[in-house]
Amino acid sequence: MNSGPTPAGAPQVKSLNCPNCGATLTVRSFSHAVTVVCDSCHSILDAQDPKLKILQTFQVATDEDPLRIPLGIRGTIRGAQYDVIGFQRRTIHVDGTPYSWHEYVLFNPFKGFRYLTEYNGHWNDVSVLRALPVCSPGSSTLNYLGETYRIFQTADAETTFVLGEFPWQVRVGESAQFSDYISPPRVISSETTGKEITWSMGEYMTGGDVWKAFKLPGSPPAAIGVYENQPSPLRAEIKSLLQLAGIFLAILVVLLIGFYATAQDEQIFDQSYTFNTNVKSESSFVTDVFELKGRTSDVELTTTAQVENNWIYLNYALINEETGHAYDFGREVSYYHGYDSDGSWSEGSRRDTVVVPSVPAGHYYLRVEPESDYYRGTIYYSITLRRDVPQLSFFGLGLLALLIPAGLITWRFMNFEHLRWAESDYGGESGGSDDDDDDGGGKIAAVAGAAGTVAGFVADVLEDE
Amino acid sequence: MIRSLFLIYGIAVLSVLSLAEYRGWSLNRVSEVPNVPKSVRDNPGSYRSVYGYYHHYTGGK
Repeated sequence: MNSGPTPAGAPQVKSLNCPNCGATLTVRSFSHAVTVVCDSCHSILDAQDPKLKILQTFQVATDEDPLRIPLGIRGTIRGAQYDVIGFQRRTIHVDGTPYSWHEYVLFNPFKGFRYLTEYNGHWNDVSVLRALPVCSPGSSTLNYLGETYRIFQTADAETTFVLGEFPWQVRVGESAQFSDYISPPRVISSETTGKEITWSMGEYMTGGDVWKAFKLPGSPPAAIGVYENQPSPLRAEIKSLLQLAGIFLAILVVLLIGFYATAQDEQIFDQSYTFNTNVKSESSFVTDVFELKGRTSDVELTTTAQVENNWIYLNYALINEETGHAYDFGREVSYYHGYDSDGSWSEGSRRDTVVVPSVPAGHYYLRVEPESDYYRGTIYYSITLRRDVPQLSFFGLGLLALLIPAGLITWRFMNFEHLRWAESDYGGESGGSDDDDDDGGGKIAAVAGAAGTVAGFVADVLEDE
Repeated sequence: MIRSLFLIYGIAVLSVLSLAEYRGWSLNRVSEVPNVPKSVRDNPGSYRSVYGYYHHYTGGK
Protein backbone atom coordinates (compact mmCIF):
# COMPACT_ATOMS: atom_id res chain seq x y z
CA MET A 1 0.00 0.00 0.00
CA ASN A 2 1.20 3.47 -0.80
CA SER A 3 1.04 5.56 2.31
CA GLY A 4 2.45 8.84 1.08
CA PRO A 5 0.46 11.80 -0.08
CA THR A 6 -0.78 11.75 -3.63
CA PRO A 7 0.69 14.21 -6.05
CA ALA A 8 -2.77 15.19 -7.18
CA GLY A 9 -4.37 18.52 -6.44
CA ALA A 10 -7.83 18.42 -4.95
CA PRO A 11 -8.98 15.27 -3.20
CA GLN A 12 -10.24 12.74 -5.69
CA VAL A 13 -13.63 11.13 -5.31
CA LYS A 14 -14.49 7.75 -6.73
CA SER A 15 -17.93 6.15 -6.81
CA LEU A 16 -18.38 2.41 -6.39
CA ASN A 17 -21.26 0.11 -5.67
CA CYS A 18 -21.51 -2.21 -2.70
CA PRO A 19 -21.37 -5.82 -3.89
CA ASN A 20 -23.63 -6.82 -1.04
CA CYS A 21 -26.51 -4.34 -1.27
CA GLY A 22 -25.74 -2.31 -4.38
CA ALA A 23 -25.65 1.00 -2.56
CA THR A 24 -23.35 3.67 -3.92
CA LEU A 25 -20.02 4.05 -2.10
CA THR A 26 -17.93 7.19 -2.22
CA VAL A 27 -14.16 6.82 -1.84
CA ARG A 28 -12.38 10.10 -1.15
CA SER A 29 -8.90 8.89 -0.33
CA PHE A 30 -8.94 6.95 -3.59
CA SER A 31 -5.96 4.60 -3.82
CA HIS A 32 -5.10 5.15 -0.16
CA ALA A 33 -8.28 3.43 0.99
CA VAL A 34 -7.63 -0.12 2.15
CA THR A 35 -11.10 -0.83 3.46
CA VAL A 36 -14.37 0.94 2.90
CA VAL A 37 -17.57 0.44 4.84
CA CYS A 38 -20.99 0.45 3.21
CA ASP A 39 -23.28 2.89 5.00
CA SER A 40 -26.37 0.89 3.99
CA CYS A 41 -25.60 -2.74 4.83
CA HIS A 42 -22.50 -2.19 6.98
CA SER A 43 -20.30 -4.49 4.97
CA ILE A 44 -16.57 -3.92 5.31
CA LEU A 45 -15.14 -4.13 1.79
CA ASP A 46 -11.62 -4.56 0.47
CA ALA A 47 -11.04 -1.26 -1.33
CA GLN A 48 -7.86 -2.59 -2.93
CA ASP A 49 -9.82 -5.38 -4.64
CA PRO A 50 -11.43 -4.34 -7.95
CA LYS A 51 -14.44 -6.50 -7.05
CA LEU A 52 -14.68 -5.01 -3.55
CA LYS A 53 -14.48 -8.31 -1.74
CA ILE A 54 -16.63 -8.41 1.38
CA LEU A 55 -14.33 -8.77 4.37
CA GLN A 56 -16.90 -8.55 7.14
CA THR A 57 -20.52 -7.63 7.79
CA PHE A 58 -21.60 -6.37 11.16
CA GLN A 59 -24.85 -5.48 12.89
CA VAL A 60 -25.55 -1.92 13.99
CA ALA A 61 -27.57 -1.07 17.04
CA THR A 62 -30.68 0.97 16.38
CA ASP A 63 -29.67 3.51 19.02
CA GLU A 64 -26.30 4.15 17.43
CA ASP A 65 -24.92 7.59 18.34
CA PRO A 66 -24.95 10.06 15.45
CA LEU A 67 -21.56 11.28 14.25
CA ARG A 68 -20.47 14.61 15.66
CA ILE A 69 -18.74 15.41 12.37
CA PRO A 70 -20.47 14.14 9.21
CA LEU A 71 -18.36 12.11 6.77
CA GLY A 72 -17.38 14.01 3.65
CA ILE A 73 -17.17 17.37 5.34
CA ARG A 74 -14.00 19.39 4.89
CA GLY A 75 -12.20 21.41 7.52
CA THR A 76 -8.92 23.17 8.17
CA ILE A 77 -6.48 21.66 10.67
CA ARG A 78 -3.09 23.33 11.17
CA GLY A 79 -3.51 25.35 8.00
CA ALA A 80 -4.29 22.38 5.73
CA GLN A 81 -7.64 21.22 4.47
CA TYR A 82 -8.75 17.72 5.40
CA ASP A 83 -11.75 15.65 4.43
CA VAL A 84 -13.43 13.53 7.07
CA ILE A 85 -13.49 10.11 5.42
CA GLY A 86 -13.85 7.56 8.20
CA PHE A 87 -15.23 7.02 11.63
CA GLN A 88 -14.85 4.32 14.22
CA ARG A 89 -15.94 3.78 17.76
CA ARG A 90 -13.71 2.00 20.21
CA THR A 91 -14.88 0.52 23.45
CA ILE A 92 -13.46 -0.82 26.62
CA HIS A 93 -15.29 -2.69 29.36
CA VAL A 94 -14.74 -1.90 33.00
CA ASP A 95 -16.60 -4.12 35.47
CA GLY A 96 -18.95 -5.08 32.69
CA THR A 97 -19.76 -1.50 31.74
CA PRO A 98 -18.81 -0.39 28.22
CA TYR A 99 -17.12 2.98 27.69
CA SER A 100 -16.58 4.30 24.19
CA TRP A 101 -14.78 7.06 22.37
CA HIS A 102 -14.89 8.19 18.78
CA GLU A 103 -12.19 8.49 16.17
CA TYR A 104 -12.46 10.35 12.87
CA VAL A 105 -10.12 9.65 9.94
CA LEU A 106 -9.05 12.82 8.10
CA PHE A 107 -7.37 12.87 4.70
CA ASN A 108 -5.47 15.43 2.66
CA PRO A 109 -3.88 14.30 -0.62
CA PHE A 110 -0.69 16.25 0.13
CA LYS A 111 -0.45 15.77 3.88
CA GLY A 112 -1.82 12.25 4.17
CA PHE A 113 -3.88 11.08 7.12
CA ARG A 114 -4.48 12.46 10.56
CA TYR A 115 -7.13 11.71 13.15
CA LEU A 116 -9.51 13.40 15.51
CA THR A 117 -10.58 11.64 18.67
CA GLU A 118 -13.39 12.65 20.95
CA TYR A 119 -14.50 11.56 24.40
CA ASN A 120 -16.93 13.43 26.64
CA GLY A 121 -16.46 16.62 24.62
CA HIS A 122 -12.63 16.45 24.78
CA TRP A 123 -10.87 16.34 21.41
CA ASN A 124 -7.39 15.41 20.25
CA ASP A 125 -5.66 16.07 16.96
CA VAL A 126 -3.63 12.90 16.37
CA SER A 127 -0.89 12.09 13.90
CA VAL A 128 1.64 9.29 13.53
CA LEU A 129 5.06 9.84 15.06
CA ARG A 130 7.83 9.93 12.49
CA ALA A 131 10.53 9.15 15.07
CA LEU A 132 10.52 6.71 17.94
CA PRO A 133 10.32 8.08 21.48
CA VAL A 134 13.07 7.09 23.89
CA CYS A 135 11.67 4.73 26.48
CA SER A 136 13.76 2.95 29.10
CA PRO A 137 12.61 -0.54 30.07
CA GLY A 138 10.56 -0.44 33.25
CA SER A 139 10.42 3.35 33.23
CA SER A 140 7.17 5.20 33.74
CA THR A 141 8.30 7.99 31.45
CA LEU A 142 9.48 8.38 27.91
CA ASN A 143 11.25 11.15 26.09
CA TYR A 144 10.38 12.58 22.72
CA LEU A 145 12.21 15.53 21.17
CA GLY A 146 13.55 16.55 24.57
CA GLU A 147 10.17 16.50 26.28
CA THR A 148 9.33 14.03 29.04
CA TYR A 149 6.01 12.21 28.98
CA ARG A 150 4.60 10.34 31.99
CA ILE A 151 2.67 7.11 31.79
CA PHE A 152 -1.03 7.68 32.36
CA GLN A 153 -3.05 4.65 31.36
CA THR A 154 -2.90 1.25 29.78
CA ALA A 155 -5.95 -0.58 28.49
CA ASP A 156 -7.34 -3.00 25.91
CA ALA A 157 -9.90 -1.61 23.50
CA GLU A 158 -12.16 -3.17 20.90
CA THR A 159 -13.41 -1.64 17.66
CA THR A 160 -17.20 -1.69 17.92
CA PHE A 161 -18.38 0.40 14.98
CA VAL A 162 -16.87 1.61 11.70
CA LEU A 163 -18.08 3.79 8.86
CA GLY A 164 -16.47 5.27 5.75
CA GLU A 165 -13.00 4.42 4.51
CA PHE A 166 -9.80 3.49 6.26
CA PRO A 167 -6.15 3.28 5.27
CA TRP A 168 -5.82 -0.06 7.04
CA GLN A 169 -7.65 -3.39 7.28
CA VAL A 170 -10.28 -2.37 9.79
CA ARG A 171 -12.50 -4.96 11.45
CA VAL A 172 -15.26 -4.72 13.98
CA GLY A 173 -14.27 -6.77 16.99
CA GLU A 174 -10.52 -6.35 16.61
CA SER A 175 -8.72 -5.32 19.79
CA ALA A 176 -5.41 -3.77 20.73
CA GLN A 177 -3.55 -2.67 23.85
CA PHE A 178 -2.93 1.02 24.34
CA SER A 179 -0.62 2.99 26.60
CA ASP A 180 -0.78 6.75 26.96
CA TYR A 181 2.06 9.01 28.09
CA ILE A 182 1.14 12.60 28.76
CA SER A 183 2.75 15.99 28.79
CA PRO A 184 -0.24 18.31 28.49
CA PRO A 185 -1.42 19.44 26.05
CA ARG A 186 0.21 16.51 24.25
CA VAL A 187 -0.16 12.78 24.61
CA ILE A 188 1.97 10.06 23.06
CA SER A 189 0.16 6.79 22.60
CA SER A 190 1.46 3.37 21.79
CA GLU A 191 -0.74 0.69 20.30
CA THR A 192 0.27 -2.92 20.40
CA THR A 193 -1.33 -5.39 18.01
CA GLY A 194 0.50 -8.67 17.84
CA LYS A 195 4.17 -7.84 17.42
CA GLU A 196 3.56 -4.36 16.03
CA ILE A 197 3.89 -1.25 18.18
CA THR A 198 2.73 2.02 16.68
CA TRP A 199 3.35 5.41 18.18
CA SER A 200 1.24 8.50 17.67
CA MET A 201 0.97 11.94 19.17
CA GLY A 202 -2.20 13.78 20.07
CA GLU A 203 -2.60 17.43 20.92
CA TYR A 204 -5.59 18.61 22.91
CA MET A 205 -8.28 20.58 21.13
CA THR A 206 -11.45 22.08 22.50
CA GLY A 207 -14.80 21.35 20.94
CA GLY A 208 -14.91 24.99 19.91
CA ASP A 209 -11.66 24.55 17.96
CA VAL A 210 -13.12 21.56 16.11
CA TRP A 211 -16.41 23.29 15.40
CA LYS A 212 -14.55 26.29 14.05
CA ALA A 213 -12.19 24.15 11.96
CA PHE A 214 -15.07 22.33 10.24
CA LYS A 215 -17.56 25.21 10.37
CA LEU A 216 -20.06 22.95 12.08
CA PRO A 217 -23.48 24.33 12.96
CA GLY A 218 -24.54 24.85 16.56
CA SER A 219 -22.22 24.48 19.47
CA PRO A 220 -20.03 21.54 20.48
CA PRO A 221 -21.06 19.27 23.34
CA ALA A 222 -19.75 20.53 26.67
CA ALA A 223 -16.56 18.87 27.87
CA ILE A 224 -17.14 16.73 30.94
CA GLY A 225 -14.47 16.39 33.58
CA VAL A 226 -10.73 16.84 33.15
CA TYR A 227 -9.12 14.92 30.30
CA GLU A 228 -5.76 13.21 30.50
CA ASN A 229 -3.84 15.74 28.39
CA GLN A 230 -6.14 18.71 28.88
CA PRO A 231 -3.94 21.72 29.62
CA SER A 232 -4.58 23.33 32.97
CA PRO A 233 -5.90 26.86 32.52
CA LEU A 234 -3.64 27.93 35.40
CA ARG A 235 -0.45 26.11 34.41
CA ALA A 236 0.99 29.07 32.56
CA GLU A 237 0.19 31.47 35.38
CA ILE A 238 0.71 29.49 38.55
CA LYS A 239 4.47 30.05 38.68
CA SER A 240 4.29 33.79 38.18
CA LEU A 241 1.39 34.00 40.63
CA LEU A 242 3.36 32.23 43.33
CA GLN A 243 6.38 34.42 42.58
CA LEU A 244 4.15 37.45 42.93
CA ALA A 245 2.75 36.14 46.22
CA GLY A 246 6.33 35.66 47.43
CA ILE A 247 7.19 39.25 46.50
CA PHE A 248 4.11 40.52 48.32
CA LEU A 249 5.02 38.54 51.42
CA ALA A 250 8.57 39.91 51.30
CA ILE A 251 7.16 43.46 51.06
CA LEU A 252 4.87 42.64 53.99
CA VAL A 253 7.89 41.64 56.09
CA VAL A 254 9.74 44.81 55.05
CA LEU A 255 6.71 46.89 56.02
CA LEU A 256 6.49 45.07 59.36
CA ILE A 257 10.14 45.77 60.13
CA GLY A 258 9.84 49.33 58.84
CA PHE A 259 6.80 50.24 60.91
CA TYR A 260 8.19 48.64 64.06
CA ALA A 261 11.52 50.41 63.54
CA THR A 262 10.05 53.84 62.92
CA ALA A 263 7.06 53.83 65.28
CA GLN A 264 7.25 56.20 68.26
CA ASP A 265 5.88 53.54 70.64
CA GLU A 266 6.28 56.10 73.40
CA GLN A 267 4.83 55.84 76.87
CA ILE A 268 2.98 59.06 77.57
CA PHE A 269 1.04 58.26 80.69
CA ASP A 270 1.39 55.83 83.56
CA GLN A 271 -0.52 56.17 86.80
CA SER A 272 -1.75 53.90 89.60
CA TYR A 273 -5.10 54.25 91.35
CA THR A 274 -7.27 52.64 93.97
CA PHE A 275 -10.99 52.02 93.92
CA ASN A 276 -12.71 51.48 97.25
CA THR A 277 -15.83 49.44 96.58
CA ASN A 278 -17.02 49.84 100.15
CA VAL A 279 -17.78 53.53 99.62
CA LYS A 280 -20.90 54.43 97.63
CA SER A 281 -19.91 57.77 96.17
CA GLU A 282 -19.08 59.32 92.83
CA SER A 283 -16.16 57.31 91.56
CA SER A 284 -15.35 59.16 88.36
CA PHE A 285 -12.29 61.35 88.09
CA VAL A 286 -10.06 62.93 85.47
CA THR A 287 -6.34 62.62 85.02
CA ASP A 288 -3.77 65.29 84.46
CA VAL A 289 -3.45 66.62 80.93
CA PHE A 290 -0.84 64.93 78.76
CA GLU A 291 0.34 65.65 75.27
CA LEU A 292 0.03 63.36 72.27
CA LYS A 293 2.69 64.27 69.73
CA GLY A 294 3.35 63.52 66.13
CA ARG A 295 0.99 62.60 63.31
CA THR A 296 -2.48 61.17 63.75
CA SER A 297 -1.86 57.75 65.16
CA ASP A 298 -3.16 55.21 67.61
CA VAL A 299 -3.08 55.26 71.38
CA GLU A 300 -2.76 52.00 73.26
CA LEU A 301 -4.29 51.96 76.74
CA THR A 302 -3.37 49.18 79.13
CA THR A 303 -5.25 48.56 82.36
CA THR A 304 -3.71 46.37 85.01
CA ALA A 305 -5.87 45.58 88.04
CA GLN A 306 -5.16 43.48 91.10
CA VAL A 307 -8.41 41.55 91.07
CA GLU A 308 -8.89 38.20 92.80
CA ASN A 309 -12.07 36.40 91.82
CA ASN A 310 -13.43 39.83 91.14
CA TRP A 311 -13.87 42.33 88.37
CA ILE A 312 -13.51 45.99 87.72
CA TYR A 313 -15.07 47.85 84.86
CA LEU A 314 -13.69 51.18 83.75
CA ASN A 315 -15.59 53.68 81.66
CA TYR A 316 -12.94 55.59 79.78
CA ALA A 317 -13.15 58.83 77.86
CA LEU A 318 -10.03 60.16 76.19
CA ILE A 319 -10.91 63.83 75.82
CA ASN A 320 -9.14 66.49 73.81
CA GLU A 321 -8.84 69.44 76.13
CA GLU A 322 -8.94 71.99 73.32
CA THR A 323 -11.64 70.63 70.99
CA GLY A 324 -13.76 68.64 73.43
CA HIS A 325 -13.64 65.64 71.09
CA ALA A 326 -13.80 62.43 73.12
CA TYR A 327 -13.07 58.78 72.48
CA ASP A 328 -15.44 56.84 74.68
CA PHE A 329 -15.00 53.20 75.53
CA GLY A 330 -15.25 50.77 78.42
CA ARG A 331 -12.98 47.94 79.48
CA GLU A 332 -13.39 45.19 81.99
CA VAL A 333 -10.64 43.50 83.88
CA SER A 334 -11.63 40.30 85.65
CA TYR A 335 -9.76 37.35 86.94
CA TYR A 336 -11.16 34.21 88.51
CA HIS A 337 -9.35 31.13 89.64
CA GLY A 338 -9.87 28.16 91.91
CA TYR A 339 -9.56 24.44 92.31
CA ASP A 340 -12.09 21.68 91.76
CA SER A 341 -12.27 17.99 90.87
CA ASP A 342 -10.67 18.73 87.50
CA GLY A 343 -7.75 20.45 89.15
CA SER A 344 -6.88 24.12 89.24
CA TRP A 345 -8.57 26.51 86.87
CA SER A 346 -8.47 30.18 86.01
CA GLU A 347 -10.17 32.50 83.59
CA GLY A 348 -9.82 36.09 82.63
CA SER A 349 -6.76 38.25 83.07
CA ARG A 350 -5.56 41.02 85.31
CA ARG A 351 -4.40 42.95 82.30
CA ASP A 352 -6.33 44.43 79.42
CA THR A 353 -5.17 46.40 76.39
CA VAL A 354 -7.21 48.43 73.95
CA VAL A 355 -6.15 50.50 70.96
CA VAL A 356 -7.85 53.83 70.36
CA PRO A 357 -7.58 54.46 66.62
CA SER A 358 -6.45 57.54 64.75
CA VAL A 359 -6.05 60.05 67.51
CA PRO A 360 -4.73 63.45 66.32
CA ALA A 361 -1.97 65.22 68.19
CA GLY A 362 -3.04 67.51 71.01
CA HIS A 363 -3.51 67.86 74.74
CA TYR A 364 -5.72 65.22 76.26
CA TYR A 365 -6.90 63.93 79.57
CA LEU A 366 -8.67 60.79 80.63
CA ARG A 367 -12.00 60.71 82.34
CA VAL A 368 -12.18 57.43 84.28
CA GLU A 369 -15.18 55.90 86.03
CA PRO A 370 -14.53 52.58 87.75
CA GLU A 371 -17.29 50.15 88.67
CA SER A 372 -17.39 46.88 90.55
CA ASP A 373 -19.50 44.95 93.03
CA TYR A 374 -20.01 46.75 96.30
CA TYR A 375 -18.16 45.78 99.44
CA ARG A 376 -15.38 43.86 97.73
CA GLY A 377 -12.66 45.93 99.32
CA THR A 378 -10.12 48.10 97.57
CA ILE A 379 -9.04 47.35 94.03
CA TYR A 380 -5.64 48.58 92.94
CA TYR A 381 -5.24 49.30 89.28
CA SER A 382 -2.96 51.19 86.94
CA ILE A 383 -3.45 52.86 83.58
CA THR A 384 -0.72 53.13 80.96
CA LEU A 385 -0.92 54.96 77.64
CA ARG A 386 1.45 54.48 74.71
CA ARG A 387 1.45 56.52 71.52
CA ASP A 388 1.95 55.22 67.94
CA VAL A 389 2.14 51.51 68.67
CA PRO A 390 2.41 49.20 65.61
CA GLN A 391 -0.50 46.77 65.39
CA LEU A 392 0.57 43.24 64.56
CA SER A 393 -3.06 42.32 63.91
CA PHE A 394 -3.02 44.26 60.62
CA PHE A 395 0.04 42.38 59.45
CA GLY A 396 -1.72 39.14 60.35
CA LEU A 397 -4.77 40.18 58.36
CA GLY A 398 -2.56 41.31 55.48
CA LEU A 399 -0.79 37.96 55.53
CA LEU A 400 -4.13 36.16 55.39
CA ALA A 401 -5.42 38.45 52.67
CA LEU A 402 -2.39 37.61 50.54
CA LEU A 403 -2.22 33.93 51.33
CA ILE A 404 -5.90 33.13 50.82
CA PRO A 405 -6.11 34.01 47.09
CA ALA A 406 -2.65 32.54 46.46
CA GLY A 407 -3.78 29.41 48.28
CA LEU A 408 -7.04 29.28 46.37
CA ILE A 409 -5.27 29.61 43.03
CA THR A 410 -2.78 26.92 44.04
CA TRP A 411 -5.61 24.72 45.23
CA ARG A 412 -7.47 25.16 41.94
CA PHE A 413 -4.35 24.21 40.02
CA MET A 414 -3.66 21.20 42.22
CA ASN A 415 -7.29 20.15 42.12
CA PHE A 416 -7.20 20.22 38.32
CA GLU A 417 -4.15 17.96 38.38
CA HIS A 418 -5.79 15.77 41.02
CA LEU A 419 -8.88 15.33 38.83
CA ARG A 420 -6.64 14.52 35.89
CA TRP A 421 -4.63 11.89 37.75
CA ALA A 422 -7.67 10.47 39.50
CA GLU A 423 -8.45 8.96 36.11
CA SER A 424 -5.02 7.40 35.80
CA ASP A 425 -3.91 3.86 36.49
CA TYR A 426 -0.67 5.25 37.77
CA GLY A 427 -1.85 7.76 40.35
CA GLY A 428 0.24 10.68 39.16
CA GLU A 429 3.31 11.14 41.32
CA SER A 430 4.13 7.61 42.42
CA GLY A 431 3.59 5.83 39.19
CA GLY A 432 2.12 2.90 41.07
CA SER A 433 -0.84 0.96 39.71
CA ASP A 434 -4.24 1.59 41.22
CA ASP A 435 -6.71 -0.32 39.18
CA ASP A 436 -9.21 -0.57 42.01
CA ASP A 437 -10.04 3.10 41.78
CA ASP A 438 -10.23 3.17 38.06
CA ASP A 439 -13.43 3.82 36.21
CA GLY A 440 -14.44 3.78 32.63
CA GLY A 441 -13.47 7.40 32.14
CA GLY A 442 -9.93 6.58 33.16
CA LYS A 443 -9.67 3.72 30.73
CA ILE A 444 -11.17 5.86 28.03
CA ALA A 445 -8.63 8.54 28.79
CA ALA A 446 -5.98 5.92 28.45
CA VAL A 447 -6.85 4.83 25.02
CA ALA A 448 -8.50 7.76 23.39
CA GLY A 449 -5.11 9.05 22.39
CA ALA A 450 -5.98 6.99 19.38
CA ALA A 451 -2.69 5.44 18.56
CA GLY A 452 -4.78 2.49 17.58
CA THR A 453 -6.36 4.37 14.79
CA VAL A 454 -3.14 4.34 12.86
CA ALA A 455 -1.81 0.92 13.82
CA GLY A 456 -3.26 -0.98 10.92
CA PHE A 457 -2.24 1.78 8.57
CA VAL A 458 1.39 1.62 9.64
CA ALA A 459 1.32 -2.16 9.63
CA ASP A 460 0.23 -2.08 6.01
CA VAL A 461 2.98 0.34 5.16
CA LEU A 462 5.51 -2.01 6.65
CA GLU A 463 4.05 -4.88 4.74
CA ASP A 464 4.36 -2.93 1.47
CA GLU A 465 7.97 -2.17 2.18
CA MET B 1 -5.39 38.11 33.46
CA ILE B 2 -5.35 36.38 36.85
CA ARG B 3 -1.82 37.63 37.43
CA SER B 4 -2.89 41.21 36.72
CA LEU B 5 -5.83 40.89 39.08
CA PHE B 6 -3.64 39.41 41.79
CA LEU B 7 -1.07 42.15 41.25
CA ILE B 8 -3.72 44.83 41.72
CA TYR B 9 -5.20 42.97 44.67
CA GLY B 10 -1.83 42.52 46.38
CA ILE B 11 -0.89 46.17 45.90
CA ALA B 12 -4.28 47.17 47.31
CA VAL B 13 -3.83 44.91 50.35
CA LEU B 14 -0.36 46.25 51.09
CA SER B 15 -1.51 49.84 50.53
CA VAL B 16 -4.46 49.51 52.90
CA LEU B 17 -2.21 47.76 55.43
CA SER B 18 0.35 50.57 55.23
CA LEU B 19 -2.34 53.23 55.52
CA ALA B 20 -3.87 51.43 58.51
CA GLU B 21 -0.52 51.28 60.27
CA TYR B 22 0.43 54.84 59.38
CA ARG B 23 -2.88 56.32 60.46
CA GLY B 24 -3.13 54.12 63.53
CA TRP B 25 -6.35 52.31 62.68
CA SER B 26 -7.64 49.77 65.14
CA LEU B 27 -9.97 46.81 65.15
CA ASN B 28 -11.38 47.92 68.51
CA ARG B 29 -14.73 49.55 68.82
CA VAL B 30 -14.48 53.07 70.20
CA SER B 31 -17.25 55.66 70.16
CA GLU B 32 -16.41 59.22 69.32
CA VAL B 33 -18.26 61.99 71.12
CA PRO B 34 -17.90 65.56 69.85
CA ASN B 35 -18.05 68.71 71.91
CA VAL B 36 -17.61 67.41 75.41
CA PRO B 37 -18.00 70.48 77.66
CA LYS B 38 -14.91 71.75 79.40
CA SER B 39 -16.83 71.55 82.68
CA VAL B 40 -16.26 67.80 82.72
CA ARG B 41 -12.77 68.47 83.85
CA ASP B 42 -14.10 70.15 86.99
CA ASN B 43 -17.07 67.84 87.40
CA PRO B 44 -16.24 64.37 86.03
CA GLY B 45 -19.55 62.94 87.24
CA SER B 46 -21.46 65.14 84.82
CA TYR B 47 -20.21 63.11 81.90
CA ARG B 48 -22.30 60.09 80.93
CA SER B 49 -20.35 57.36 79.22
CA VAL B 50 -21.80 55.54 76.25
CA TYR B 51 -20.82 52.31 77.97
CA GLY B 52 -22.23 53.18 81.38
CA TYR B 53 -24.87 50.43 81.31
CA TYR B 54 -22.50 47.64 80.36
CA HIS B 55 -23.60 44.22 81.63
CA HIS B 56 -20.80 43.00 83.82
CA TYR B 57 -19.74 39.39 83.95
CA THR B 58 -19.55 38.22 87.53
CA GLY B 59 -19.09 34.57 86.87
CA GLY B 60 -16.17 32.30 87.26
CA LYS B 61 -16.22 28.56 86.96
